[in-house]
Amino acid sequence: MDIIFLLLSFFAILGAVCMVLSHQPVHSALSLILTIIALAGLFALLSASFLFMVQIIVYAGAIITLFIFIIMFLNVKEANLPKEPNKNMTLFFGIIGLLPLNYLILKALYMMPSKQLVLAHDGFGDIKNLGMELFEKWLLPFELISILLLVALIGAVVYGRKEEV
Amino acid sequence: MASSLFSYFVVAMILLSIGLVGVFSRKNIFVIYMSIELMLSAINLIFVTLSNYYHSMSAQIIAMMVIAIAAAEAALFLSLIVVLYRRKKTLDSDMYKALAQKETL
Repeated sequence: MDIIFLLLSFFAILGAVCMVLSHQPVHSALSLILTIIALAGLFALLSASFLFMVQIIVYAGAIITLFIFIIMFLNVKEANLPKEPNKNMTLFFGIIGLLPLNYLILKALYMMPSKQLVLAHDGFGDIKNLGMELFEKWLLPFELISILLLVALIGAVVYGRKEEV
Repeated sequence: MASSLFSYFVVAMILLSIGLVGVFSRKNIFVIYMSIELMLSAINLIFVTLSNYYHSMSAQIIAMMVIAIAAAEAALFLSLIVVLYRRKKTLDSDMYKALAQKETL
């Protein structure tokens, strides 16, 4: 279990680093898919089996695919990409600026109780438990999410119209 | 030993930091958006870890709602990128300053 955790977190961080560093948007999107799938594996290790499927189907399958579709639809040429001549320097200063924050977070994390997280074997995190919880305690937020998705859909249609200038 | 609460939180912290660095040090608007998605995923990892720790399903529900909000955000942000790209023919986020300076219109 430890070796799986280490491998998955390594791939997640590798994908994230490649996503930030690569120049072409398509390479960034493909690296982000690596990160998303590694995170889905971590969800499975934490016995969230339904979220594991949701992560792969919705995130990697729908959101990132929509993303790659838009990148290919725009047909971005090399000349239209931003130049970013001092990209490495800004990245370096960004990392330097974030170090104190990360130090503080690590200091806080050391005070947490160290308990091994194990796989639950009583059906915790499967679709039945999640559905019962969702429709018993979280019914109103669920309906609000559906309204939010409708608003986003209408907004996307309004943005996507041909402009009469 | 590796799969404790601490190690999951460290992974989430590293992913969140990489996303934050990506937001404020890149100019490509696609990469900025993907960094935001990466930060949302890191927060999701924290929620799922706490769900396992406290053996409660509520955190997983919240993680699922974060995924739904990310989907809504993806639809809006991508159509916004399409509109911006049609107008300016570039992906450089420094070029989108119509609200800042009037003469660049």
